[in-house]
Amino acid sequence: MPPKTLKTKNKTFLFRMLAMSLVRRRSRMAVALVGIAIGATVLLGMVSISYDIPRQMSLEFRSYGANMVFVSAAGAQVALADAEQARKLLPAEQLVGMTPFRYLNIRHNRVPYTAVGTDFAAVQKTSPYWQVSGEWPKGPNEVLAGADAAEYARLKPGMELAIDGVNSKGSRFRGKIRVSGVVKTGGKEDGFFFMALPDMEKLTGESGVADVIELSLSAAEADLKQLAGAVHETVPSLEARLVRRVTQSEAAVLGKLKMLVTLVTGIVLVLTMICVATTMMTVVMERRYEIGLKKALGAGSRAIAREFLAEGLVLGLAGGLLGGVCGLLFAQLISVEVFARTVSLRLNFIPVTVLVSALVTMTACFWPVRRAMRVDPAVVLRGE
Amino acid sequence: MFWKMIFGALTRQRGKPLMIAFAVGLGVSLATAMLNVMFDVGDKVNQELKTYGANLIVAPRGLAAFNDLYDLTEDEGRTEQSARPEQFLNEADILKIKMIFWAHNIVDFAPYLDTRVLAGGEAITMTGAWFDRHLDLPSGETVDTGMNRMKSWWEVQGSFARDESLREVMVGTELAKRMRLAVGDSFTLAAPDGRDLGQVRVCGIFHSGGEEDGRVFAPLALAQEIAGQPGKVQRVEVSALTTPENELARRAAQNPNSLSAMEWETWYCTCYISSVAYQIEEALPEARVKTVLQVAQSEGAILQKTQLLMLLLTLLSLICSALAISNLVTANVMERSAEVGLLKAVGAHTGAVILLIMTEILLSAFVGAVGGYCMGLGFAQLIGRTVFGSFVTAKALVIPIVAVLVLLVTLIGSLPAMRMLFLLRPTEVLHGK
Repeated sequence: MPPKTLKTKNKTFLFRMLAMSLVRRRSRMAVALVGIAIGATVLLGMVSISYDIPRQMSLEFRSYGANMVFVSAAGAQVALADAEQARKLLPAEQLVGMTPFRYLNIRHNRVPYTAVGTDFAAVQKTSPYWQVSGEWPKGPNEVLAGADAAEYARLKPGMELAIDGVNSKGSRFRGKIRVSGVVKTGGKEDGFFFMALPDMEKLTGESGVADVIELSLSAAEADLKQLAGAVHETVPSLEARLVRRVTQSEAAVLGKLKMLVTLVTGIVLVLTMICVATTMMTVVMERRYEIGLKKALGAGSRAIAREFLAEGLVLGLAGGLLGGVCGLLFAQLISVEVFARTVSLRLNFIPVTVLVSALVTMTACFWPVRRAMRVDPAVVLRGE
Repeated sequence: MFWKMIFGALTRQRGKPLMIAFAVGLGVSLATAMLNVMFDVGDKVNQELKTYGANLIVAPRGLAAFNDLYDLTEDEGRTEQSARPEQFLNEADILKIKMIFWAHNIVDFAPYLDTRVLAGGEAITMTGAWFDRHLDLPSGETVDTGMNRMKSWWEVQGSFARDESLREVMVGTELAKRMRLAVGDSFTLAAPDGRDLGQVRVCGIFHSGGEEDGRVFAPLALAQEIAGQPGKVQRVEVSALTTPENELARRAAQNPNSLSAMEWETWYCTCYISSVAYQIEEALPEARVKTVLQVAQSEGAILQKTQLLMLLLTLLSLICSALAISNLVTANVMERSAEVGLLKAVGAHTGAVILLIMTEILLSAFVGAVGGYCMGLGFAQLIGRTVFGSFVTAKALVIPIVAVLVLLVTLIGSLPAMRMLFLLRPTEVLHGK
């Protein structure tokens, strides 16, 4: 079968030419390869980052505190057992924290105050903005005094005070609390005393309830709405409400940030791709002499185009792979540096990057090759 | 002769210098856009973060702030009435907030006065506020401010109340549901002692997701009239643009007197939230200014993250454009080995050749840089307009940074190529090897 042998021969010839061209013109090929690799690095790095930004930023926005609260649908208190049941409906990886709050009126020296029973470990997650001077309570009956309450009652960390009050059933209770620290938020918390919920339960003899449960979830407003609906449906005694101030504002600001990063990524990508294309063009343009020679020796336009495109393909694939790896490292570096968290790596971005690099490189080769082929070999070989 | 050759090189082989100019232009436009956006992103994001509402609360000195919590417990009807005397600020003094050193950074502010009213036999809290007030400052400036701008998360059916109308109020969703009120309905108000206060019309029903949903919001004058406290307010919410806190600001917030004179000066003249609070206290000696940490702290954290992110992305694009430019310059110089060989063959020194080529490259780089700078400004405005709806201010600082960058990159980028030119042997090149 003569046609087939000819074809195979052609193919081996193409490979040899390709290999020779890549090996013999090492420095020029290195220049092209570096160019493509830079492009691929930027491509993968920027895309990974802008893809990951909403998740990372959303976690940062949790510093604004709770974005959902559970209250009793009947206007009474919330049973902690119901809240536990509702927690199972929430995606665990999105739940930053869940903190119960129970309000209780207490008196010290006949002056009324509000004591709040809560979970201190959870508060530090849902309300990271609390500023505590002194220590967070550790031992039994240790409390945090709000800054205003502490100022009014002239309290300092380490002081003990006797309190009394009436529980919901009307029976009187008495107890002693020790101030371990003073909390300042600039909000209404400054007027409260905070104690551990178990301490409060022991004090009043009533357990298993809270007035409100605050949740901090790293999720978009629409998802939160859906979750709130699901909670009310499964646990009808609970009503989940969104803290509009936090969710709305977050949606607005996060939307802008996302747009910013997307636009920046877009512009950087377009410019980088043009840069890659220009480098390739320069590298190819310089070979007009070679193209002229090949034409003079009888090579067809198609054969020449095929050779150049194959070269572009090899360069694009190699550069894309190299850049892909660098890009991943780069995205990781930025994520760790800015958010102190690793980026969620999307390995399927690598083949896409390699493909895009190969495509851009080949397209960039195509144009100068076509222009070069239009030139009369005699003119080129004579040196213009 | 030298300039003639340069001119000849630039005009005769149009394509290649154009290519360098183009590459430099691309790199410079990227650098310019990113640098301009980076320098401005702090201000822009800060402005956006104002949607979270006030970061400062001005309350009378003493215990007024402490009374707030009794307001909450009274709502639930569980505490005995607190016997503490109420304290107020003068509405007329509030203007002074806009006259402090950092007045320009005070974005919005609104005073509030809470009072109790009876509606349909039920005791509810009425909050008087400025909704959209136009103010003329003694300094001749005019200011438009009020609650409308500060509660961007409120979902309002109907419209916000108007300051001048004393018969229109806004009702929270929960209260509206309980009292079966719709926009346009009227209801009768009575003072806590039963005195009839006449009818008011519901001009809007709002949903805030907070405890405000159980309240009535009315123009300040109406609340003052009902409370019998004309010209008085209980607290002022202030939204200010501030710089993230640092060590100095934290120390100053504890006690401004602990700073040395130099530190004090720096602190006072930097827009930290603590120095703004301090200056408001100076202007209103009878007031105490509290920082709302939920807003102020988070703001700082998010601003810093955004700025750091943009800084890193900018650095990255600077490195990339530097590599891309130097890559192209290298490719360009390599390509001209024949020409250089000829020059050497006719007796040019390597130094002279390099000078010639560098001048040529730098000239085209300059042209490209100027074009790229303009294009970069365009990109920066595009980003500013689409994302933040406002223009990005072109910082003059960007020009020297970009200029140094281009110079360094072009020079360093040509180094490998220069080395090649040194080693070049005219005979080999001209022979066509």
